Amino acid sequence: MLLDTPHTQQRVEPPPPAGLVENLRGAAYRIGALAKHNTLIRLRDPGQMISYVAMPMVLMLVLKPLYVRAVEGGATQVATGLMVMFSVFAISIAGNAILVERTWRTWDRLRASRAPATELLLGKTIPIFVVMVVQQSILLVYGCLVIGLPIPKAPQYVVFAIAIWAFALLSIGAALATIVRSHGELSVISDVGALTLSSLGGALVPLSIMPEWAQVAAHISPGYWALTMMQAAVRGDAAGTLAPAGVLLAIGLVAGTFAVRRLTRGWGRGHLL
Amino acid sequence: MLEAIDLVKCYGPVRALDEFSLSVAAGEIVGLVGHNGAGKTTFVEIVSYLTRPDGGHVTIDGKPPSAVKGQVGVAPQHIALYPSVSVREHLELFGKLAGLRGQALTTAIDDIVAALRLSDFIDRHAAVLSGGQQRRTQAATALIHRPALLLLDEPTAGADLETRQAMLDVVKQRAGEGAAVVYTTHYLPELTELQATIAVVRDGRVIARGTHEELVDGLPGEVQLTFDNEEEITVSTTHPANTLIDLLSRADRPISTVDVRNPSLDDLYRSLAVSNAP
Repeated sequence: MLLDTPHTQQRVEPPPPAGLVENLRGAAYRIGALAKHNTLIRLRDPGQMISYVAMPMVLMLVLKPLYVRAVEGGATQVATGLMVMFSVFAISIAGNAILVERTWRTWDRLRASRAPATELLLGKTIPIFVVMVVQQSILLVYGCLVIGLPIPKAPQYVVFAIAIWAFALLSIGAALATIVRSHGELSVISDVGALTLSSLGGALVPLSIMPEWAQVAAHISPGYWALTMMQAAVRGDAAGTLAPAGVLLAIGLVAGTFAVRRLTRGWGRGHLL
Repeated sequence: MLEAIDLVKCYGPVRALDEFSLSVAAGEIVGLVGHNGAGKTTFVEIVSYLTRPDGGHVTIDGKPPSAVKGQVGVAPQHIALYPSVSVREHLELFGKLAGLRGQALTTAIDDIVAALRLSDFIDRHAAVLSGGQQRRTQAATALIHRPALLLLDEPTAGADLETRQAMLDVVKQRAGEGAAVVYTTHYLPELTELQATIAVVRDGRVIARGTHEELVDGLPGEVQLTFDNEEEITVSTTHPANTLIDLLSRADRPISTVDVRNPSLDDLYRSLAVSNAP
C-alpha cells in the first residue's frame, strides 16, 4: 500500500530521498513559517516588550543625576546597569513564549508535524532572540543619545556582546519554562531572580561601593558578567569583552542544552501543570 | 497502511497499553471505542510519534512513525490552537509545515475551508470562536495536507450538529480517496454513519473488532408491549422477533403499541461498562 493513495486532488507526497540542498531548503521554509507565526504572536501581545523598554528609559533619566554624582562614569553605569537589569527581566518573555505552548497544548501539535524538534525550536526562539536584541539595542542607543553613555569606539564589540547576552538570556528563559509549573511560578522566579542576580552583579549599585562579600559573590551572577562585558564593549576593550562573553556563552549552552533536551521529549513535568 | 503489534506503554504503575494490536488498511475507517482511560489516546500519541512505546512496534506503510511524520494528520482530543492567531493563519502554518507552498497551499486552504465550512470565521482569532468552530479549525489543520493516515481523537467531542456533520462528511470523503482513518469517539452512531470497522478497547488492548452487525450479534435487544390499560411489558432478548411472536400469542388483553428495538452499539458499550465495573 502506498502512502500517496490515488485521488483527484493534491496530496503531500512522501519526502523523496532529497539531496542536502533540498533538505536545507525545506528546513529553511519550515523554520521561516514558524518564525513568522511566532513573530505574529509576539506582536499581538507586545505589553511585556514595551514595558521592558519604557521602564528602564524612565529610570535611567531619573537616576542619572544620582549616579553621576555618586561614581565616576555614572552615565555609563546607569545606562548599562539598567539595560542589563531589564534585559534579565526579559527572561520572562522567553519563558512565557515557550510555556504557553504547553498551556495551549500546541507544542505536541507542532511535534506531530513534519518539522523536527530542532526546526521547531529555531522557529520558536529566533523571534524572541530578535526581541531581546532589539530591546538591548534601543536601550543602548537611548543611553548614548539621552543619558550620556559614550559612543562605542568599536560598535562590533557591542553587537557581539548584545548577541551573546541575548543568547544566554534566551537559553535561561527556555530552561526555566521547561521546569516551572505555571506562568505565576515563572513570573516569580524571573522577577525575583532578575532583581537579585542583576543587583548582585552590580547593575543597580556599582560593585566598587558594595560590601566586600558582595563583590566576591557577584561572580556567580550572570548579570555581573553581562555588565562587565557590556562596559568593556562600550570602551572598545576586546579582551575585556571576550572573557565574560565566554562565561555567558557557557551558561547559555548549558541552559540551552537542558531546554532542548526537555522540549524535544515533550514536557518533563507536564503532569504537574 | 497502519500496523500496530503488541504495543505496551506504562506510565508508572499504570499499564496504558497492554499488548495493543491493530491494523488499518488504506481507505478503511477504524473506530476506536472504549471507556476513558482504555488506552485510545495513548495509541494515537504513539502512532503520531509523540510518545515512544515500551514494547511492541508500529509501522505506517512499513516504516516507523518517525520516518513518515509528514504523512500523518493528527487532531488531538483537546483543543490545541493559538488564541491570538486566525483560522487562516493556522491553516497556513500547518500547511507550510506539511510542505505545501504557493498555489498548492492556497488550493489546499480553499478546499478544507469549503469542506469544513470555515469561511464565515476564517479571519477570526481562535480565542473568539465557538467550541464547534474551534473543533472544525483543529480538524482542518490535521486534514489540510491530505495525509494518507488520519488520527482523529474524539474530533466531535462537545460539537454541535453542524460541526459533527461536516466532520463526518470530510472523513468519509477522505477515506473514499484512500486515506486510512483512526477515529476515536464516544458517539457510537457516528461510527455507524461512517460505516467504520469498530475496535473495542479495554484495559489497553483491543478486545473485539468487527463491523457493527458482527459486534452486536448476540447482544440483547428489547421488546416492549403497551396494553390499552397503559400497562407495559418490556422483555430483554437476543431474539426480538421470536420473543415478539411468543408474547403476542400469549397476550390476553388488547395491545395498543408494540416496540421492537434491535441491539445497537450503545448496548455493546453498556455491556462493556457493566463488565468493566469494579
